[in-house]
Amino acid sequence: MSEGHRGEHRAQRGVAFATCVFVTFVFVCSVFVSSVFVDPAFVSLGARSEVPRNGSIRGRVELRRAPTPVERRPQVAELGSPGARDLPDLLRSVVYLESAPRGAFETTESGRAIMDQRNETFVPHILTITTGTTVDFPNSDRFFHNVFSLSKTKRFDLGRYAAGGSRSVTFDRPGIVRVFCEIHTHMSAFILVFSHPFFALTEPDGRYRIDNVPPGTYSVVAWHEGTATDPKPATIADADAELDFTIK
Amino acid sequence: MNFRRCAACALWLWSVSAPADAQVLPSEPITFGDGRVTLGGDISATYGSEDPGFFNYTDYDYSTLRMLRIDIAATISAGDHVAILGEVRTENFSNLLPYALYLRYRPWMDKDVSIAVGRVPPTFGAYPRRSYGADNPLIGYPLGYQYLTTLRPDSLPANADELLRKRGLGWLDRFSIGDQTLDAGVPLASGFRWDTGVQFHAGNDIVKGTVAVTTGTLSNPLFTDDNDGRQFAGRVELHPMPGLIVGGSLSRGAFPTTDAVHAATAKGARDGSFTQSAWGTDVEYSAGYLLMRFESIATRWRLPIVDPIAADLPVSSVSTSVEGRYKILPGLYVAARVDRLVFSDLAGTTQTLPWDANVGRVEVGAGFSLQRNVLLKTSFQHNSRDGGPLSQMENLGAVQLVYWF
Repeated sequence: MSEGHRGEHRAQRGVAFATCVFVTFVFVCSVFVSSVFVDPAFVSLGARSEVPRNGSIRGRVELRRAPTPVERRPQVAELGSPGARDLPDLLRSVVYLESAPRGAFETTESGRAIMDQRNETFVPHILTITTGTTVDFPNSDRFFHNVFSLSKTKRFDLGRYAAGGSRSVTFDRPGIVRVFCEIHTHMSAFILVFSHPFFALTEPDGRYRIDNVPPGTYSVVAWHEGTATDPKPATIADADAELDFTIK
Repeated sequence: MNFRRCAACALWLWSVSAPADAQVLPSEPITFGDGRVTLGGDISATYGSEDPGFFNYTDYDYSTLRMLRIDIAATISAGDHVAILGEVRTENFSNLLPYALYLRYRPWMDKDVSIAVGRVPPTFGAYPRRSYGADNPLIGYPLGYQYLTTLRPDSLPANADELLRKRGLGWLDRFSIGDQTLDAGVPLASGFRWDTGVQFHAGNDIVKGTVAVTTGTLSNPLFTDDNDGRQFAGRVELHPMPGLIVGGSLSRGAFPTTDAVHAATAKGARDGSFTQSAWGTDVEYSAGYLLMRFESIATRWRLPIVDPIAADLPVSSVSTSVEGRYKILPGLYVAARVDRLVFSDLAGTTQTLPWDANVGRVEVGAGFSLQRNVLLKTSFQHNSRDGGPLSQMENLGAVQLVYWF
């Protein structure tokens, strides 16, 4: 092969190699860009200046039924009368995203929360936490309590312990946990365990706000004392979403 | 016992209670009338071994090991200070009986002081407050509150020999004086009927006290009086620390019916005060997953026996019960109770024996919560009796399904 032909062949190979590199680069870039647009959670972690910002879902939950606290069972066999007790706050609901953005909450938090036992009432009546959270159950009464739950999400029994004592439970699975006292049957509470942070406890007037929701379309559910609404769609794009619920 | 009814009820409870993790059946009392009326219930279906020795019978017809018991209780609040409380009960769908019905007046809302009038809760002892299926960790009852002695208020033995001949036959007996109808004897303290009268209660976090004047006696509570006597009962309960309750009780009341006493005195018995007197002590201790209870009742009956040997009267009896419960897993516990019921010696013409056959029972069992208010229990009993014509030793087993709201 002549020197001229050899040089032309080398040039052709160089062009082919450069073409391959360019095509590969374009392909990688296209995959990257498509992934950015497909996964809204990725957007929040990526270049904020190029994509829509995270938003909020807010609104109000209207309770059509009047919530009433659980009464004591008729204590016909007891000598004397039962003492006064606090009543649980039954006006609050929970609003949450039924499905969270992918990758939004891949690691569990090891935070702590408290559910007190005070004057024969669990305080708060509804506790919302994320998986991995440890809940302390202090006893602030002068008599025994025995916190337990037979819920599928978390089955536990803390036994009887006196004032000043506290026992704790770590909730490692998402779900709804109904909590009771074995001694005082009128005591009950809910712990809602989420695998993502997109939930909110309503104010007593029903208003709620879920912040920092990545752009996208979601199913949103309102829940009150064991009753959940049908999911409603909410889209976070350039503006926040407003969503009201009615629980009958 | 109507086994089919019991089985059907148990099957229904079972079917509606599954799956275990879901609260299918309501677990809360029913309220209506702007919260002034509250209804609660306790239903237990039990099926177990035959009991030819009548160790577990509460009267001639019903064994606690084969029983469907339905209790419905209600509180009607008439303002802050007044409430009417009642309970109806049926066993094996027999007569629906008003177990309790009383008015409770609470003069000061910030103080634990109240007066109850009507068919009031038992003042004596600790067990009557936890005789419901959900509160009893086992299936059997403590002997002192259930086992039927040979004594009857309406039928009296003429002499010591007649009483001794009936040893171990408390489930169905009669004596030669008074009512000749065959009927069951009385337990030391009735765990199945309540007395009628007035009860006063006062207390604080440390000490509680209750006194009552009623028509019947500890072993024979009554709705209408069958003699001219009244029963006086009192109870003091100490709560020195969380988890510890120490109680002491006493009672004294006219026992035999007026007709039986007249029949006895007509045949030569000395007239006088024929009473049942009782003293009781109880301790409850709980901590963590452990719950322990002890209760003892000592009682004596003074009867108008026609040919008494003075030194042998009154006849007396002592029951002692120790029970424990330990939770080994959430919703699962094991429990045991040891019972002993002994009777004082009585001298007959030819021999001296306890006036009724001494009885013992060891019961072990376990309970599993299908859901919070549906409990499946099983237990095994070893019963023994030191005399009488019936079987003197029995090993019995039973299962029980309990639902409460």
